[in-house]
Formats: sequence, structure tokens, C-alpha cells
Amino acid sequence: MSNPIQIDNLNFSYGPVTVLENANVTLAEKEFVSIVGPNGGGKTTLLKIMLGLLEPQSGSVSVFGKVPALGRKQIGYLPQYTSLDSKFPVTALDVVLMGRLGLTRSLGFYTRTDREVAHAMLERVGLGLLHKRPLNALSGGQQQRVLIARALVSEPKLLLLDEPTSSLDDYVEQELFDLLQELNKELTIVVVSHDVAYVSRYVEKVICVNRVVHTHPVSEIDENLIHDMYGEHVHAVRHDQEHDHG
Amino acid sequence: MGEFFQALIQHSFLQHALLAGLLVSISSGIVGTYVVTRRITYLAGGIAHCVLGGMGFARYMQVVHEWSFMTPMLGAMIAALLAAFIIGWINIKAKERIDTVISAFWGMGMAVGILFIAKTPGYGEDLMSYLFGNILLVTQGDLLAIAGLDLFIAATALLFHKQFVAVCFDEEFARLRGINTQLFYFLMLALTALTVVLMVSIVGIVMVIVMLTLPAAIAGRFCLRMGSMMALAAGLCALLTFGGLALSYGPDLPAGATIIVLTGVTYLLSLLFKKS
Repeated sequence: MSNPIQIDNLNFSYGPVTVLENANVTLAEKEFVSIVGPNGGGKTTLLKIMLGLLEPQSGSVSVFGKVPALGRKQIGYLPQYTSLDSKFPVTALDVVLMGRLGLTRSLGFYTRTDREVAHAMLERVGLGLLHKRPLNALSGGQQQRVLIARALVSEPKLLLLDEPTSSLDDYVEQELFDLLQELNKELTIVVVSHDVAYVSRYVEKVICVNRVVHTHPVSEIDENLIHDMYGEHVHAVRHDQEHDHG
Repeated sequence: MGEFFQALIQHSFLQHALLAGLLVSISSGIVGTYVVTRRITYLAGGIAHCVLGGMGFARYMQVVHEWSFMTPMLGAMIAALLAAFIIGWINIKAKERIDTVISAFWGMGMAVGILFIAKTPGYGEDLMSYLFGNILLVTQGDLLAIAGLDLFIAATALLFHKQFVAVCFDEEFARLRGINTQLFYFLMLALTALTVVLMVSIVGIVMVIVMLTLPAAIAGRFCLRMGSMMALAAGLCALLTFGGLALSYGPDLPAGATIIVLTGVTYLLSLLFKKS
């Protein structure tokens, strides 16, 4: 069985600006890892390359042994919260059903199986009773759970979450990570975050992205290492976060 | 009002007008919901104004070069589809600011139409009916064409409902799930173009955008799902068309303008109700 993600000697740039340089990433099955780094360091770019939404200039990317555009069928994806229109006229169940696209028939409405699987997934994330609620009548944390259910309903083997906690308060954030820890028994999970200290309580490996990419087991992560790698950047990032919470 | 109902029984032109309004409402409810939720109102407006270029061209060819097959409705259809395709393509490929691109087509479409109409002998009055519509001139042939296009639009929307909803809600996610999002984007623009053409005969180029978007916008205030929003928008559109037609008949007001004012006022009143 091929690794969920295998990236070798990858280079990516937007025009003259190098975003990722000679990056190597290996993700094994059922790992729980976090991608961390300063804003603008290339975290989302790396994610989009894994998803086949961006093409690298050089290097190889394989997703479950295939090119990303094919392998991504096995990926469940949670986009950044801000990219969605929360006024859109859909219910929680409607949103989850979208995750069945590509598995369900292409003509006509969703099948009964689709509805059953979607409903079961809403129960799994603790929203079984709210399936008829419109999206805009759910709290930020509940909306995030709906989107996670949407990512899971295609029965992926790899779950990619881009800044899943940016819209959540601390309590809900912990709930979310407890859920992820449970899901990790069955699938590989990658969480993009800029909060190194918080995620290192949950994950096994941390992939630090700031143009260069380094992977560390979580035991190696301490203040000194973070400081060596990012210097002043990390202080700037943390400073912002304190403001967000306060 | 009573006068209107009496006339409705007597005159086939009124029956045609009413039937046309009801048929167009179906497409308008469906496509208007896409346009409003996907936020491409301005793009739809641009397509509508490009239609004048096509109608002017068709009329010119008919009169000056005797291309009798080139009816204004055919010209409108070609122009609308062409505009939808080109604007959509520039939007995807050139990464230009889309509203600027639309403005360019908006103005050029109108200008080309006016140039052709100016060079067409003896048909100055056409311009008014293209711009402001003339629902009372709907012929039996028009009705057939409207019904055909209606059927096509409704069938496409039903068959691909889940793809359209997904593409409107979160295009990137839909793409990751293996949906050809560019295809559905263009298909949505094509349906918009066809609906615009249908509505031009009723309310005219200038007012299409109101009839396309406001019923859906009103429905959106009370509906929780795309399907019910489409149904309510279609119902509202039919009701407002009927109401406008009836109100305009007695005092001999322009039907299109009356429908638009009625729709606009209804929309503004709906804002007073708290969103469900």
C-alpha cells in the first residue's frame, strides 16, 4: 500500500517568488500530523499541491500512489472557514450530501443510500438531530462539524483540515480535537494550524513550513527549536493570536 | 381589474401574453436562484444588454439582406450565448476584474445594437420594444419557442440539481469531488443567457435583471433550501407578471414597466419582514 502522501524534491513559486523550496514530505497511514508555520510561509500552498489544485514547477507528488488529481478522491477536505457563504440556502444535511458527489449517480437527485450515509455521519459528529437546520442557524462550531461530516462522508483515507479552529473558541477547539483523535483510529489526519503549542498536544509529527519544509516528531518540539527555525516570525504570529483571543 | 378579466376571455393576444408570462416564470425561478446565490447578478445584466447587439444585427440582416430566418429572437439567443461564453472564459482564463470585463460587454452590446438599428430602414420603433419589451405582441410561434426553451432549462436544472447546488455553494470542494466545475459554470451561464432571451420579449432588455433576480431574492428571504427557493421564486414571478399585466390593462400603461414596478415594490416590502 502506497503512502497517503509522498512528496519529493518539490519546488513551487508564484512568478518570481519562491514559496516552497526542495520540499520533502512523507505521510504514513494513520498518522496524525500538523502543518505549522507563519502566515505566508506556504502551508496552504502545500495543501493545495496535495489536492492537485496547484501544479509544482518541479518535483514529484503522489497521493496514495497516484497523481493528486486522481488520488484526491480518497481525501476528505475541510477548507478555511472564511471561504464559505453562510447565508446560502442549504440545510446541514444538504451540505453533508455534497461530500457524496463523485460516489453517487451523476444524473438526478441523491440516492437513499447517500441520505442514510450522510445522516449517519451527522450523528457521528454529534448533530444528528439538527439535520434539517439551515446552515446559517448553526453556531460556528456546529458549522465546522457539518463541514467535517461533509469531508468524511466520502469515506476518505486521509483528512486534510485547513485552519479548522480559526473560528472557534477554546472550548469548542478542544472538542474538535477530541473528535479528530477518535477519527484518527481509522484514518490519516493532517491539520494546518499556526498554533504550534496547541496542536503539539495532540499530533505525533509536526511539519514546519516556511519556504523550507522540515518534519519533526512532536517530542523534539520545544521553544528553542521553534525559535531557531522561525526567529521573529513566531513571536509575531503568537502575538496576533493573543489579540484574537483577547 | 374586472375589465381585464373580461378582456382576457375575449382577446387571444392577452391570453398569449399571460401564457408567455407563466412559462417564462418557470425558467426565471430556477435560473434566478442560481444567479442570486452564486452572485452573478451583474453578469446576467451584462448578458441581457448584449442581447440588443444580436437583435439589432438580426433585424438588419432581415431587412437589408433578406435573411428571413434571422429573427430577432434567434439573434438575441446567439448574442446571449456568445456573451455568456466569452465573459465566462475571460473570467476563468485572464483573471481580470470580472466587473470591468462585464461593463465592457454591457456597453459594446448596446452600442452594436444601436448601430445596426440606425442603419436599418424604417424600423425605429423596434428599438423601444427591444429595450422595454412588449408582452402584448407575443405570437403563437413565440409561445412554442418559449415552451421549448423552458422545457430544456427545467430538465437540465432537474437532472443536474445537486451539481449546480454544489458549484454555487463551494466550487473548489465540488471540483475535488470530481465534478467538472468549469463545465457546470458554463452550463449555468448558458441557462442564464437563454432565460434572459425569454424574458426580453416580456419586460425588455433594460428590465430583465429585475424580473430575473428579485423574485428569487424575495424567495430567498423565506426559503431554507435551493429547491423551495426556486419553486417560490417561480410562483412569485408568475403572480407578479399576472398582477402587473392586469394592473396595466385598464389605464393603458406599458405592461413591462408596470410588472417591474410591482416587483420592485414587493421586494422592498419583503425587506420589512424578518428573515426566517
